Amino acid sequence: MEDILQDSSVKVADSLVVGGGIAGLEAALNLANTGQQVVVVEKDLSVGGRMIHLSKVFPTLDCSACITTPKVSEAARHPHINIITNCELKQISSDENSYWHVRLQINPRYVNESLCTGCQDCEEACPVVVRDEYQYNLVGRKAAFIPFSIASPRVAAIDIDNCILCGACEKACGPGAIDFSQEPVQTEWVVKSIIIATGFKLFDSDKIIRYGSGKFKNVLTAMQMERQLVPTRPFNTVLRPGDGKIPEKIAYVLCTGSRDESVGNPICSQICCMYSIKQAQLLLGALPMVDVTVYYLHIRAFGKGFDEFYQQAKMMDVNFIKGKVGRIRELENGDLVVRYEDIASGQVMEATYDLVVLSVGILPNMDVEKIAGLETLELDPFKFLNQRHEMTNPFKTNLPGIFMAGTASGPMDIPDSILSAGAVSALVNKYNKQLLETTVNSLEITSWND
Amino acid sequence: MNTPKILVFSTEKISDPALDFAGLMKLHYPASVHAIVLPCSSSVRPEWIIHAFESGFKGVYIAADGSDCPYGESCIAKTAKIVERSHVLMKEKGIPTDRLRMAAVCSVCAEIFVKQINIFAEELNASLKKED
Amino acid sequence: MTKEQGNTGKRIGVYICRCGSNISDYVDVDTVCSEVAKEKNVRLARVMMFACADSAQKEIVADITNEPLDAIVVASCSPKLHLHTFRAVAERGGLNPFNYVQVNIREQSSWAHSDNPPQATEKAFNLIKAGIARVDLAEPLMPVTIPAENSVLILGAGVAGMRSAIELADLGSQVFLVEREFFVGGRVAQWGKMATTDQTGEEIVTALYNQIRTRKNIQVYTGAHIISSKGSIGNFNLQIKVVPRYVKPPCDPQGFRKAIEACPVIVDDEFNFGLTKRKAIFHNYKSEFPALPVIDMANCTRCGECLKHCTGINLDQKEEIIDIHAGTIFLATGFNPYEPRPGEFGFGELSNVITLQQLKRLLELSKGEFRFREKKIESIAFIYCVGSRQVDGDNKYCSRYCCTSAIHAALQLKQEFNVPVIYHLNKGIRTYGKQEVLYAQSSAAGDVYLQFVEDEPLLVEIYGEQAKITINDLLTAGQEITVTADLVVLVTGMVPRDNIDLNRILKVPIGKDKFYNEIHPKLRPVETVIDGLVISGCCQGPRNIHESVSSSLAAVAKVYTFINKGEIQLEPTLAIVNPDACEWCGLCLAACPFDAIQMVETGKGKIAQIIEGNCKGCGMCTPVCPTEAIDLKGFTNMEIRSMIEAMSG
Repeated sequence: MEDILQDSSVKVADSLVVGGGIAGLEAALNLANTGQQVVVVEKDLSVGGRMIHLSKVFPTLDCSACITTPKVSEAARHPHINIITNCELKQISSDENSYWHVRLQINPRYVNESLCTGCQDCEEACPVVVRDEYQYNLVGRKAAFIPFSIASPRVAAIDIDNCILCGACEKACGPGAIDFSQEPVQTEWVVKSIIIATGFKLFDSDKIIRYGSGKFKNVLTAMQMERQLVPTRPFNTVLRPGDGKIPEKIAYVLCTGSRDESVGNPICSQICCMYSIKQAQLLLGALPMVDVTVYYLHIRAFGKGFDEFYQQAKMMDVNFIKGKVGRIRELENGDLVVRYEDIASGQVMEATYDLVVLSVGILPNMDVEKIAGLETLELDPFKFLNQRHEMTNPFKTNLPGIFMAGTASGPMDIPDSILSAGAVSALVNKYNKQLLETTVNSLEITSWND
Repeated sequence: MNTPKILVFSTEKISDPALDFAGLMKLHYPASVHAIVLPCSSSVRPEWIIHAFESGFKGVYIAADGSDCPYGESCIAKTAKIVERSHVLMKEKGIPTDRLRMAAVCSVCAEIFVKQINIFAEELNASLKKED
Repeated sequence: MTKEQGNTGKRIGVYICRCGSNISDYVDVDTVCSEVAKEKNVRLARVMMFACADSAQKEIVADITNEPLDAIVVASCSPKLHLHTFRAVAERGGLNPFNYVQVNIREQSSWAHSDNPPQATEKAFNLIKAGIARVDLAEPLMPVTIPAENSVLILGAGVAGMRSAIELADLGSQVFLVEREFFVGGRVAQWGKMATTDQTGEEIVTALYNQIRTRKNIQVYTGAHIISSKGSIGNFNLQIKVVPRYVKPPCDPQGFRKAIEACPVIVDDEFNFGLTKRKAIFHNYKSEFPALPVIDMANCTRCGECLKHCTGINLDQKEEIIDIHAGTIFLATGFNPYEPRPGEFGFGELSNVITLQQLKRLLELSKGEFRFREKKIESIAFIYCVGSRQVDGDNKYCSRYCCTSAIHAALQLKQEFNVPVIYHLNKGIRTYGKQEVLYAQSSAAGDVYLQFVEDEPLLVEIYGEQAKITINDLLTAGQEITVTADLVVLVTGMVPRDNIDLNRILKVPIGKDKFYNEIHPKLRPVETVIDGLVISGCCQGPRNIHESVSSSLAAVAKVYTFINKGEIQLEPTLAIVNPDACEWCGLCLAACPFDAIQMVETGKGKIAQIIEGNCKGCGMCTPVCPTEAIDLKGFTNMEIRSMIEAMSG
């Protein structure tokens, strides 16, 4: 067990945002721009959440990084925002004035953030190659590494679990930023309010054995396909991982892990139809000869401009087949046979593809459950945060001063996540103001819906 | 080989990040390519383009915001109009119009930018050689 | 060198960063430094190991004071990383931050041209020369602040508008809540139980109205609409016209009831979508506020019958015009249900074809048994996507809320009224997210779902007292199926409200789908191209109630950032007009996407003027000016021209 250093100074902010994805950053920026002091904790090495890794986003097909990175850099340099990456929330408790005391643990990245210039010399020197989780395991990375090219902070980290302590990075680093003596540090913050913006987890498609995910090389998850479509993509083109062949026939299997009681997730994930349709359109742009088939139950193209986007995909000759995929089988050459129930004909049919993409659904991120002091936080039947007042105050939790933004409360697309973050910042601004007045005047808080 | 001087007009939020990104990924393009950063590709004055040619640049490339423009969709049409007006001025001055290029470059479209600027440089070279 | 713009006499310091060796491995920084030192007005040039390091920053600050320097250039990494770092350094040294220029010789020279160090060096030199040329001409720029009135005009007192009013009031703004109808509550007031929580519109509207009444800084106007608007963000001068109710409090409920009974005029009751009739003087519903009757003067014959029973009535009340000064305008004007064309799926032709919204009212008016036109209803067919996802019509969009709303109503029909047979003739059910649970419940309750193909519309015919619908069902391999039902419910979607005058007065941008259009769905989802005019709820596009509330609260957050400080600070890089050169042709006005240019009369004649509150500094106006009279601060004509010259080597 490594030592955990205790930073005895107690730090103060108006609000704590848990999660530095697009919802968390948007909420933080809104609050900071009205003068609130905000601390954002992110458990990953970089902020930006899921969105920073996406290619183009539906339905406007604007580039995801073009939207995320300006917000990321605005937040990073905002005088009222303190972003702490590689940091976990360990414990929270409330005091007699209804302020929250929060214990954070900053885990070591073994690199001095203020000295690192992001030059990647350590990366070059490091002899260890492991799977790159930021590229969804499509390629490798070093044990001394910058998480990804547009990471923020764009500083290196040492993956200590895989590091062989050879010291090559230390020698290579000009400014002397590598520091193997770093240890976890715990600090206490006192805040008026907390915004939980912990996002979602992706369904692990390996759990559906009949689809061969994790076993058949040419069965990808949609996030793996997404990484092949971004401009910073690992292979510089779209190809199937099994043999590097450029795919000519690609199938999408919608509702993988959604609307499926057998995997314990009865609800619709709300985004998979649209991201699959988007990927289909991008694939047709990248590989003009490709044939894309989408197996669906219902197409949920409900948002502004979504149905028009779906119709556009049909016009582009994306093939939509209403039917449930039963099983996927691998042929010797790596091709995949999809067996499905074709609703139009009422027959069970088979078709062969070069590549199959599983449109995995989204699941609640249960990390908040691990935080001491949050045992009484209400969850809904699907383990998302419970929206007690869904109709009129959708982003309040059952605990005073604790709010939610983005997909912490359930499946949501990016435009709705951003709106929820805006909404929550209005509520938090008011809450902080009223709490301050209450503490000053010892008056009761008159908060809507309490 | 000396490559012809090309002036790039890039934009703060969209296309210049792509140029930075090309550098970050060590994607190479001729060092004779120089960029001036503006807020928006619709703010390029045709007169600047002429001025660049008259100052010795052999090519001008507008790395446009396209549909990602933070100032709205009208950018696409307005940048196109600037190119059109520049073409008129270039014709008056006897500068071949293919020495001005324009393409939308998104903030991470480094590869696209490098590919296009390399092609532009090659084509410029070929046409300059012909001129000699 | 052709730098002939006259000697500014500026004292410039240039700092060239090695970035460890990231720059100096490919760019010969020492040579560049000694060459740069020879440039005009350069007083000092230094090479630094890491210019961003704290010690280096301190050195620059010391140089600024000791030399002293008027301007600095740092040639290092991309300005996206450290522009603000070094602007702060300049400020610490007492310089205006715009007397600092960052030159990108890492991403755009040493790294991009690591294959060719001599040329990378030459390019770095050229880029630095351009930086020097720019900083030499740079003017100090001060942030522009404009005063902002901490008040908001909200148009539309539905759930989105009411919810926002409460929040804005609590955040300290004066709120003017203006409703065109005589009662607040909007569409939600008309609904009974709603998906997915089963709360009723009445509960929600009542709670909101009670909250509004306790806040002194919310002024509610009903029967009111906007008639003029002047000004810009921070300072809108608006006028609203308030149509009288012809009834004033306090009222005697007994007297009013008699007055209503006495009124001889009978018209359709729009609250019940024409399912019932009302008088020209009418009482509000339980879910509508204020709780005071109103006389509908469009239908009133001024016969005077009501006056005999009630002293609270005054037919001589006059329209009032009220001036409102507001920092922002908040649109929450909501939606209309789609009105089917006569004959569309039998609507208006068959007596037992109604819309979803009529069904929702019918559910509210029903007790125990579900009857329509006296007949007990045993079977119902819902036809989905009426007025939405049109193949031939203009409404290409999905109306988002209707699948869930219809299924929710069907469950209520089954559970509360025991309607045994319910068909759902749909184009693919879109109960997205957690709403999926309702769809599963409905299927489990035995409702029959049939899916029709988009381009093959259904046929609805009379069949005795019932309606007969023929469908090619996709779910049973395209089989032609005929269903008969006592009642057909057209699941009609949303269309924008008819706001012709409002749209003209405020110049609200309208999208392809005819709903109000935001600047960008992800970057600026509640703002419009008119600065200070925000949109929320269903006027922006179809949404359910919780999504409407979410968007309206997001708009509250945006409004709060605009006006809470009493002033708005703008980036100083705004357009500027040279009044001597301007000959007013209007081209700049046409080029500006933000309404930031206006024509003003001066002694000399008409010229353009920048409305700084609206200008975003995009520079779109500059290339179109035929007399080069308009410029962009920080990117001036002279600066860019001198950079071009310097770069040309």
